[in-house]
Amino acid sequence: MTTLTQNDIEIAVRAADHFTRLYYKTYDSSTRVDDLPNFYRPNSALTWNGTPYQGAEGVRELISKMPPTSHEVQSFDCHPIPGSQPPSLFITVSGNVTHGKGPAGNPASTPNKSIDGHPRVFAQTFMLVPDSTAAKAAPGEVAKYYINADAMRFVG
Amino acid sequence: MLSTPAPPTGSRSVAANALRKAGLMDTDTRMRDVTDKPGGRKGHQKSSQHKVRSSLRPGRADVLLGRDPSGSTSRSPMVNARIAAANAGGDGLSIRGASKGSAGGRVRRNAISLNGSSRTGAQVVELWREFVKRRWNAEARFLNLERMAEDDFVVKNQLTPPGAPGSGREAAVIFKLAKELKPEIQTISLAHNGIQTGMLLSTLSHYLPRLANLSLEGNQLKMWKDLDFISGKKGKLEHLRELILKGNPLRELEYQSNRAEKYKSDVARRFPSLEMLDQEAIVKISFDVPQASTSAVHAKRSTVTTFPNEMMPSFVTGVDGTLISNFLMRFFPLYDNQRSALIDAYDPNATFSFSANTAIPTRARLEGFHSSKEMPNQKKLEWPPWLNGGRGGSRNLSRMAGGGEKQVKTLHVGGEEAVKAMVELPSTKHEVSTAPEKFCIDAWPTSHAGGTALFMTLHGQFTEFPSEGIRSFDRSFILAPAPEGSRAKLAGWDVMILSDMLVVRAYSSHEAWRPGPLRVQAGEAPTPSAPVGAPQVPATQIPPQVQEALLQIPEPQRSLVLQVCQRTNLNVAFSVQCLEGNGWDLDRAIANFEQVKATLSRDAFL
Repeated sequence: MTTLTQNDIEIAVRAADHFTRLYYKTYDSSTRVDDLPNFYRPNSALTWNGTPYQGAEGVRELISKMPPTSHEVQSFDCHPIPGSQPPSLFITVSGNVTHGKGPAGNPASTPNKSIDGHPRVFAQTFMLVPDSTAAKAAPGEVAKYYINADAMRFVG
Repeated sequence: MLSTPAPPTGSRSVAANALRKAGLMDTDTRMRDVTDKPGGRKGHQKSSQHKVRSSLRPGRADVLLGRDPSGSTSRSPMVNARIAAANAGGDGLSIRGASKGSAGGRVRRNAISLNGSSRTGAQVVELWREFVKRRWNAEARFLNLERMAEDDFVVKNQLTPPGAPGSGREAAVIFKLAKELKPEIQTISLAHNGIQTGMLLSTLSHYLPRLANLSLEGNQLKMWKDLDFISGKKGKLEHLRELILKGNPLRELEYQSNRAEKYKSDVARRFPSLEMLDQEAIVKISFDVPQASTSAVHAKRSTVTTFPNEMMPSFVTGVDGTLISNFLMRFFPLYDNQRSALIDAYDPNATFSFSANTAIPTRARLEGFHSSKEMPNQKKLEWPPWLNGGRGGSRNLSRMAGGGEKQVKTLHVGGEEAVKAMVELPSTKHEVSTAPEKFCIDAWPTSHAGGTALFMTLHGQFTEFPSEGIRSFDRSFILAPAPEGSRAKLAGWDVMILSDMLVVRAYSSHEAWRPGPLRVQAGEAPTPSAPVGAPQVPATQIPPQVQEALLQIPEPQRSLVLQVCQRTNLNVAFSVQCLEGNGWDLDRAIANFEQVKATLSRDAFL
């Protein structure tokens, strides 16, 4: 088994950086129903707060029933998973997500101390794998990756 | 002939008004900051007064310092000839002087170069509009702004291009004009303009955030912070595919010091979307990026006001629940009491890292956990042991300053390295066996490297020592079956760790994942529909004695207990026992019940 080189690690980190930006920007956009499923394939498995969904179609179903979101990524980490080449990526993200209109959307009668409408803490972990069937679009492209597994939960 | 006018009071606001009228200046303060004050936010009242005074002696400093305006030293004789020819009657010297801003009576602090007082800001903008039109190649969606100071049109009209001494708002004006081009601009070249600071580029990302290709070849950019004005990492040019920095000191000095690889990786890190740098491909992983063209069509903001589902309990499928509980029930006690013994649980190439999310959770703050009586030690918790400890510190990649070295140093490869890092982290206690409701797992098998691996995420809390404060954490694992004869197998682990990522956060209550309805907004109805697969039983059907007994069960487990009661007819006490014996896994509890039901006495049932 080959050991990870600095280059492998840097490529993985750049990919994770790019991915997290693209993913949450898309999630929060007005075009999310059309665009978010592009990150998935039919065999992708995901859970949203413990409810399972399958594939890009499952994502479309989930996201079309989602109130508007605004994500703030506060931390993320990424590993190239040992044993695969090009390496599958393991990415974990921690941050805030506000739904709907946020606290501003609460009725005036809402007590100050109410947590309703306020941002939740979310934790989301992805496994990204190369799509061996996808054509390479750019000269330096290692491969096109998609989300193979995705588990998201509200954790605060 | 032209007298040097004293800078009229408020001349800047006159120019600014003209620009606004021409629709070429934004009113937002951010833009004013960068365009009004080339000195940045430090350009407050005092220093700007000082600079206005110096503008009475335009160009003096340049003359004294022997500074030459952009490109004129490298200007080819042919270009000089062209400039001279285009300006019949004028000699090359005076033209060059004009472009220097020393002879034309230009008020240097005035952002738009006014030739005396005869030209308004709007007229200057019209000249730039004409210039941009001349340089625009619509077919290639390419705006070529190379060597602007040498352009006949610029020279003839005594315009001050960006990068030339005395230029101010011109860059913003040009980029805003570029934004209006049709079809949408894709490529811009600012090569050979003597640009010395990235500040000039700050308006570039403001007006052209979707720019794909940018050449800054042959300028004078020296510092990494110059790139931060356009860096995708800073939320600026997030769609940049190609960048050329050749001929800038920033790049050339790195190459001369044999640090080309470091230079490439430092640039690539600043632009996550970059594919080509200095005409060489960057090795990268890509994604199916949403296309602007499709996006524009269906754009519609969601009007949904409820969540698609309720919060559901742990989701574990496709794997024997005992495998997971055996792993966790062994892993966490060792992690708490004897971390070094975990070395056997890791594959020889396994990866481990930890990261700290130090943000204050909003809901936890509103609930006052930080100063609650029940958790008296929260204020004693400190972040430095997580930020700096554990052999390299937190691997929060969104906050990581510095280059690739730290990315490598904070990724611990192999059981030995993983354990060395973990041993240096604060001591902990995870109550996995005594308080299962404080933990939540999602896990399922996935294919990996020709075999099967287990994808698992775990959320929970631990007590940290010595403070005895409580923190929340998320831990994600990739597990694989331990092969016969492997170190893990010999040490009694059925599965071994391939990847392990730990995220440590400020405390939030496990109420966050308590199964049940979720509300988007106060006052609105919670999640309407019962999720698939979770039998919902109206409370009226529950026998009174069961209801009573259920009240003794902590809320998080209540629904599970109720489901076992209903599916097995076991009473509450035996249902709890059955669930406890099966790691609070409903399916396993039911299966276990089916195995042993014949042996149960009558008093186990309702």
